[in-house]
Amino acid sequence: MTAEGRRQQIGPGGGVPPVGSAPLDQVFDGGSLYALRAAVAAHAAAAGLGRLQVYDVTAVAHELAANAVVHGAGHGRLRLWADGGFLYCQVSDDGPAVPADEAGEAADGAAAWPAEHGHGLWLASEVADDVGIGIGPAGTTATARFPLNPE
Amino acid sequence: MAADAGVQVTELGAEDHACLTFGEPEDLFDLTAAFVRDGLAAGLKVVWLSDASPGQAAGELGRRGVAVESAMARGQMTAAGWEGRLLSGPVFRADAAVGWLAGELESCREQGFPGLRVALDMSWALRPVAGVEELPEFEDGIAAALDGSTAAVLCQYDRERFDPVTLASVAGFHTRAVAAATYHADALLRICRQYAPPGIRIAGELDFQAGESLGMALAEAVRLGGDIMINMSALAFVDARCTLMIADAARAIASLSRLVTLRCLPEVAAGFARLGLDGIPGIRLAASGDR
Repeated sequence: MTAEGRRQQIGPGGGVPPVGSAPLDQVFDGGSLYALRAAVAAHAAAAGLGRLQVYDVTAVAHELAANAVVHGAGHGRLRLWADGGFLYCQVSDDGPAVPADEAGEAADGAAAWPAEHGHGLWLASEVADDVGIGIGPAGTTATARFPLNPE
Repeated sequence: MAADAGVQVTELGAEDHACLTFGEPEDLFDLTAAFVRDGLAAGLKVVWLSDASPGQAAGELGRRGVAVESAMARGQMTAAGWEGRLLSGPVFRADAAVGWLAGELESCREQGFPGLRVALDMSWALRPVAGVEELPEFEDGIAAALDGSTAAVLCQYDRERFDPVTLASVAGFHTRAVAAATYHADALLRICRQYAPPGIRIAGELDFQAGESLGMALAEAVRLGGDIMINMSALAFVDARCTLMIADAARAIASLSRLVTLRCLPEVAAGFARLGLDGIPGIRLAASGDR
């Protein structure tokens, strides 16, 4: 995580896309993860990211969506938007929340989750500039942030 | 004689008249390389007829770890076109083609080789060639020529391009059916054995939903013995769970003092490096070229 990332952390409720600014807003389930990845890759490339960064954004989007499929409602919604020099990828689902210990570790970016369940979130915390997880009665929202002009 | 179901290309021997069906050029070159490699290693004479030039054929084999230039130079290996062997211009005659094979058997004996291996890319039969209806007669003639010989013939058919009726009509003349062992094949992902160099090949997009197929393929890679390549040159995406599974298998193979090569795109290689695989003795992370 960069120093700048720490200064502007995503809050526990996750970021909120500015009204009317989400260029990608797509629902998904286990059978449409490929289409979701393709859409995220296309939008990340259009936002100006290079090949390796496009792959990283796509990988994180996949892991957050896969968590919703496997550990959450089985389906969810992904939104991708650019704001203030960052690209945000947010996945929400209305299923049961992930266990609190996993969510807590995800929120503060700690490592050492059990591989089977937490490796995707570990990857997200390694690759993204910041990751925020919000859990409420309406479900789980995970938001990852990437700088649009990586050094 | 009817074809046996599913024999490995590495199990072929004298008198085998094998029908190789393949779905993509990568399969064709991989299985051909294994057939050529094992033939040369056994001291046999090897002939491969295709539409590739001798240089291209040597290049494809060389990329798969089978160096054939010296075998070509000393007359042990021939890579050639169909013209003057199976075809005479745009004309195919079964008796002439069988005559060519008989001549190869004869010259192989005269040159003192203990046996002959012939790989025949049959895609010439997809072209507007007169006499192509004699194809079953040719396959029957090969079977007769091989009877009691020390030779093996591998006929190579593209199952995507040959119609099922043609494939069915020639299948019965073969004693063996050969195809790449496949663990997973759908529109998004293919996981299969790789024969030269030995290992597995994963192409397309891989995520947790194919974890079971990947697990079977990796278990086979561990069982194969010797050095292993996990060829992911055409793998465009792999998720965190499958990256971890592949990394664990690589560590397991390396811990047995075997070399494991992970060939993959730079962005996929970065995922393995993130797991600490870069620089582990016995594990080679080889970035392949651009897609």
